[in-house]
Amino acid sequence: MAQDLNPVSWGAQDRYQAHFIVKILTGCDNEDYLARPKLQTKGHFASKQVTGIKWSGGKLADVLNTDDALKTMMTKLSPEDAQIYIEPTSGGVRIFGKWKDSHDFTMTKELFSVYDRIALGIKNMSCPPPIKC
Amino acid sequence: MHDSESDTFHPVNKNEEFCESLKKIGLDAKANQIDTDEAEKENYYSRYYSHTPVMVTNHGTITLKGTNIDVVQIIQKG
Repeated sequence: MAQDLNPVSWGAQDRYQAHFIVKILTGCDNEDYLARPKLQTKGHFASKQVTGIKWSGGKLADVLNTDDALKTMMTKLSPEDAQIYIEPTSGGVRIFGKWKDSHDFTMTKELFSVYDRIALGIKNMSCPPPIKC
Repeated sequence: MHDSESDTFHPVNKNEEFCESLKKIGLDAKANQIDTDEAEKENYYSRYYSHTPVMVTNHGTITLKGTNIDVVQIIQKG
């Protein structure tokens, strides 16, 4: 059978993502809940390891940067899994990782512990109530 | 000698499949029917970043008990 030389580029792909949602209602602005890690690594290819993490983004990033236990937990993850994104949406704050194909789309105890710790940071984050004019 | 693979297969939703992997690590997880959670009716990304995909498929949610995470939503690219 001849191979299709013009494969279709649309349609659902074999790439999945699990969004871990923390439903919160606080006085924080949406931008306060943005956070992304900048990973410090050593080694290359299969031996690449995470040695440090610096979060950047809103106030949540400052909260996560002060959490040494979280940093220790994240250094045990692979560089792929340690790429964690936190974004606010109207119904809650979403914590998610990179897209994975169906074969790799599972959860480990270590990775879930990190997500749960971040969720705790989100819930504990206190913001001053908005000023009413 | 018969092939070891079964002739029939049991289709499993992606959220049920992921729910099983959460149960395997000791979590109290329950897969919900599609379109039953409020999280499925909103935007899946904040749009603060430009590279987030526009076309995604919702595969339903999973409710977690005893953790700081309220619900898990499974989405597929495209």
